[in-house]
Amino acid sequence: MSAAVSVPKHRLFESPNSRAIEIGPWTITARTNPISNAGQSDALQAAIGGIPLPEMTFGSNSLELEHKDSGWKYAFTTEEALKGVRNGELQEGDGGVKVGYADAWIKSRTGASSSIPMPQTVPTKPFDWTYTTLYPGHSTASSSSTIEWKPAERNNALHTIPLAELTRHDPILFYAEIPLYEDELHDNGASHLLVRIRVMPTCIFILQRFTLRVDNVLFRTFDTRIYHSFASSPPLVVRETSGWEAPYDRVKYRLPKRDDLTPLTDPMWIAKILSEIPSEISQEIGAGTKWRGLGNKVEVATLQ
Amino acid sequence: MPSDLDKFVQIEQLLRCEPISEEQVKRLCIKAREILIEEANVQVVDSPVTVRREICGDIHGQFWDMMELFKVGGPCPETNYLFMGDFVDRGFYSVETFLLLLALKVRYPERMTLIRGNHESRQITQVYGFYDECQRKYGSSNVWRWCCEVFDYLALGAIIDGRVFCVHGGLSPSLQGIDQIRTIDRKQEVPHDGAMCDLLWSDPDDIVGWGLSPRGAGYLFGGDIVKMFAHRNGIDLIARAHQLAMEGYKLMFDKTIVTVWSAPNYCYRCGNVASILELDEHLAQEYKVFSHAPSDVRSIPAKRPPADYFL
Repeated sequence: MSAAVSVPKHRLFESPNSRAIEIGPWTITARTNPISNAGQSDALQAAIGGIPLPEMTFGSNSLELEHKDSGWKYAFTTEEALKGVRNGELQEGDGGVKVGYADAWIKSRTGASSSIPMPQTVPTKPFDWTYTTLYPGHSTASSSSTIEWKPAERNNALHTIPLAELTRHDPILFYAEIPLYEDELHDNGASHLLVRIRVMPTCIFILQRFTLRVDNVLFRTFDTRIYHSFASSPPLVVRETSGWEAPYDRVKYRLPKRDDLTPLTDPMWIAKILSEIPSEISQEIGAGTKWRGLGNKVEVATLQ
Repeated sequence: MPSDLDKFVQIEQLLRCEPISEEQVKRLCIKAREILIEEANVQVVDSPVTVRREICGDIHGQFWDMMELFKVGGPCPETNYLFMGDFVDRGFYSVETFLLLLALKVRYPERMTLIRGNHESRQITQVYGFYDECQRKYGSSNVWRWCCEVFDYLALGAIIDGRVFCVHGGLSPSLQGIDQIRTIDRKQEVPHDGAMCDLLWSDPDDIVGWGLSPRGAGYLFGGDIVKMFAHRNGIDLIARAHQLAMEGYKLMFDKTIVTVWSAPNYCYRCGNVASILELDEHLAQEYKVFSHAPSDVRSIPAKRPPADYFL
């Protein structure tokens, strides 16, 4: 048992749609609102280049961090996340997929034996309908400090996210879950982007998780973790991004009960299973889509 | 007035969101099938003009929000209801929601019209919650199986006074006329292709003609297609559901098609309002907007998730 940690001074603020904490030089604000209305959706759609918005777009949600000593501001926003979605024809590395029954569907409409021939169709706007994004948050325009993310040093313990500290059940001073968008891919699966934060007596920890399920095709997760220890001097931010992917059946095979598929809708369960599959598969071969998000990267930035 | 039918329908119990026994579910489903099998693929709804008529979109197992809907529209059978599918999945009370609608259907077949949504399917309900809920509440998959058998008999569309065509998803390039829908053999699991699939899955979009969804399957249809279909079939309006509308409804293409959405605060977290469409005797439209049931009354998740030591 470790000795109880001392809780640093902090202040909490709360309004119906936002909550904030001030702790040391940090101000952290989580905004959670209803999904965007028609007017907001139109403006957002125009801002991201016209691709159809996810069915549940929380356009006014965000997580913002401000470090007063350095003037650095960092945020997770729906608009910037959606700018990371491929707008246009999919290219090598985008990991584009079709729904599981696409081939059968097309064949049934175009094959020689087809009784229902395909009508003349007009091209619809090409974009990544899975809403896959590699967005890891961004320094905001109002940030008075630009920081440089550098690759983490291999043997520097400060350049890692310390699991032991994060597993310790210290009191959580501030906690928020902020959905940015969700889409059910027309009942062909699900695409979610969710940001979570916990401010602990000793650190700030953020996990933004993108989760994708395309039924009978694949599972994909892309995590961004941000860790800052209040003890670091000069202040250091560690950012780890990781992408996993596996064929649908490989994950489905791990279901605790064969005929209950509901765990397949749980991002936590999906991430757990993907991390248990050997990384040569889940982080290198994936589901064979050549998605550039596979793998793992740790970067650090010094705030000054 | 109590009737022979009352032994099949535990409406009072279901209105309180109380479960009925497995045996009662079985009898209700058998009775419902006997009624639905007689219905056409496109159910004709001609109600006396003195009765209110409400058209409703997706419910998705949000039982207490459906109770708000009935407050806004008035109780059945005083009001005539048409539900455009997606009764189940995602919400916490798919079983109670579907069984109540089914009980009302059996008790007042002329006053309750149910058409099939893409979630009324074995495949989809195994992923999106209904199967799991039946297992949890009844300890076996029997209830799910009987309900799925009822799904197979649900009508694919409805036409009101010959002028308003109702369908869950949208149009199909293989169907020019409503008459052609009548020839489909609907008594099956929702297929992945063909006209029946299109009716339950397709979406209107700001294009001209037919478009292929970027997902690789499924059609999008433009305003010209809607207007041509309306003209050919002598209808004024296509009412459909299937897509979330933050304002509860969304009119498109010079008001020739409307999406009606009846699940407020969808998935208990979207914060959207819902609506039902009321038609008067001249088929004039009024959209009645409503919000979700107060969350303090019922066991739906707290607004804020509990703090979690995520890694």
